Amino acid sequence: MGINFSEVNFSYQKPKRRRAVVQTLHGINLRIDDKGEFIAIVGHTGSGKSTLVQMMNALLLPLSGRLEIFGTEIKKKTVLKPIRKRVGLVFQFPEYQIFEETVLKDIAFGPKNFGLPDPEGRAREVAEIMGITDLLERSPFTLSGGQLRKVAICGILASNPEILILDEPTVGLDPFTKSELLELLKKLNREYEKSIIIITHDMDVVSEYAQRVIVLKEGGIVYDGDKKTLFKKEHLLEEYDLDYPETMRILKALKERFQADIDINQHSIEATYQEILKAFGEEDEH
Amino acid sequence: MNTNPVFGQYYHADSWLHRLDPRTKILGTIIIIISLFLLNNLAVIVGAFGATLVLILSSKIPFTKFLRSLKMMTTLLLITVVFQLFFNRGKILAEFDFTLTTVNLAIGIAILVLFFFSRKIITKHRFFLFLALLVFCFYLQTVVKSGKALANYSLAIYEEGLYTSLKVVLRIITLLLISSLLTLTTKPADINTGMERLAKPLKYIGVKVSILSMMISIALRFIPTLINEAGRILKAQASRGVDFKEGKFMQKVTQIISLLVPMFVISYRRAYELADAMEARGYVPDAERTSISLLKYRARDYLTLLFVILLFSAIIALKVSDYAI
Ligand SMILES: Nc1ncnc2c1ncn2[C@@H]1O[C@H](COP(=O)(O)OP(=O)(O)OP(=O)(O)O)[C@@H](O)[C@H]1O
Ligand SMILES: [Mg+2]
Repeated sequence: MGINFSEVNFSYQKPKRRRAVVQTLHGINLRIDDKGEFIAIVGHTGSGKSTLVQMMNALLLPLSGRLEIFGTEIKKKTVLKPIRKRVGLVFQFPEYQIFEETVLKDIAFGPKNFGLPDPEGRAREVAEIMGITDLLERSPFTLSGGQLRKVAICGILASNPEILILDEPTVGLDPFTKSELLELLKKLNREYEKSIIIITHDMDVVSEYAQRVIVLKEGGIVYDGDKKTLFKKEHLLEEYDLDYPETMRILKALKERFQADIDINQHSIEATYQEILKAFGEEDEH
Repeated sequence: MNTNPVFGQYYHADSWLHRLDPRTKILGTIIIIISLFLLNNLAVIVGAFGATLVLILSSKIPFTKFLRSLKMMTTLLLITVVFQLFFNRGKILAEFDFTLTTVNLAIGIAILVLFFFSRKIITKHRFFLFLALLVFCFYLQTVVKSGKALANYSLAIYEEGLYTSLKVVLRIITLLLISSLLTLTTKPADINTGMERLAKPLKYIGVKVSILSMMISIALRFIPTLINEAGRILKAQASRGVDFKEGKFMQKVTQIISLLVPMFVISYRRAYELADAMEARGYVPDAERTSISLLKYRARDYLTLLFVILLFSAIIALKVSDYAI
């Protein structure tokens, strides 16, 4: 179950008889579980990340190859609504979907469409989780960019999808809200076993939260696996256009400066701290 | 992106038509189109069509570029031809007797059913296939006479109808080709500047030409952007369970609102941002402005315009003195 891509190609142009079309995505093989995954999709601007996640929500159909979402093959005639209920996608730009006169109504729009019971109750519930209960009665058009983004995320969360996809969710959020959102995603992932997929350019987010990383380059998947193996590689920048996260940069600098025996492949503040303690032999003073 | 879908977009080549001043081309095109409607003699129209083909050759633009604008009009042309062919009275050129019998009615229905079920296998050119089959069904009625006759009728093609339809079709095709010639040899910005210059005299009756032309060019520029944006909104709402294929009336209303509101909001914001950006770069609506593309009238422009005007005058003169042109 979950989402299965096999040899999927995609192009924004219509296929022409004689002429080859530019393929935005090519040869995609991917298997995403519907439980407990926390995936980060990274890659250069224009590498096809947004296109890939739109296929996961059956908004774009494959040009060739096989795409299965929750056991249903996605074709022109497939009934898509039940699939979209189970896979939630939060778009890169929230302003493209907000339209109701109050935030509450806008959040309840999704669950109402999917025919879920008590849409407004659900809306209040997710608003509580995201900490925007004070905005519920306001008009969405008076909100700031960051607030709007939270409303958009609530709008998807309210339908309670099993797989939750977010396209660059942390852009435009202040550091506090950003970590709040990420912690919430982590909680959804841990406690409710939801699969979370985020697109991000922020290597610190990848390093701290993701379990699995998918790297896209020029429309193809060039890496798919756990983050430690990825960050062990020497030439990330040259090969994948990626940077190292902050924690690894600090450890690397320390290692070079003091010639210390440090495993620089650490991905949380806590682990980094422990690694430093271990290397410099100081006892924990607490 | 394609801002001008009916007539082709600018195609770069190095020809005398490309080098002409846009004002000449715009005026020339208008005059030629008016002349085309004045012509009413098949031979003369054929001549005009030939002359247009020569012009196209001299523009060094591949003919396939012109075919695109013709293609979009095929349906219209076909309907015109059919109507003119059968509904004009006069001398009969050919007459067809049709007998609708049980046999050919059955065959006809079978063909249409087969056509309907072939839509999974044959996906392209279905319209032409349908036309061919329809003609075939009528043809059957003239040859297959077995079975019980249900109805007898006849259709006639009149000479008058044939001529009229030929004239109409040739005129429309020539018209499309001439207009495509303008848009294919002139950059949109140049067309805009040309129009603005031509409309200058309007300022004496209180029309603010430069503002008007700015408005038009911005509007044209944003059409593809808005189409793009509509696509994004559609996707964003689809992922929230909006399904445009279903729903009762009230749901349909909500669905449409869920598209229109973001559309308006985004357009408004865009308009304000653009206004600010223009102001930040020193745009003052009423200021005297110079253009990035300086238009200069040269000898070839005067010559071309003179030729077109002479042609037009000749047509008028001949018309007035009752020549059948
Ligand atoms: N609607 C569209 N029509 C045509 N081409 C498109 C469309 N959307 C995206 N593309 C093209 O497809 C490619 C991949 O785009 P995509 O939006 O998936 O990139 P991305 O990895 O999400 O980039 P970013 O990091 O900037 O969000 C780009 O080259 C882009 O120009
Ligand atoms: Mg993107």
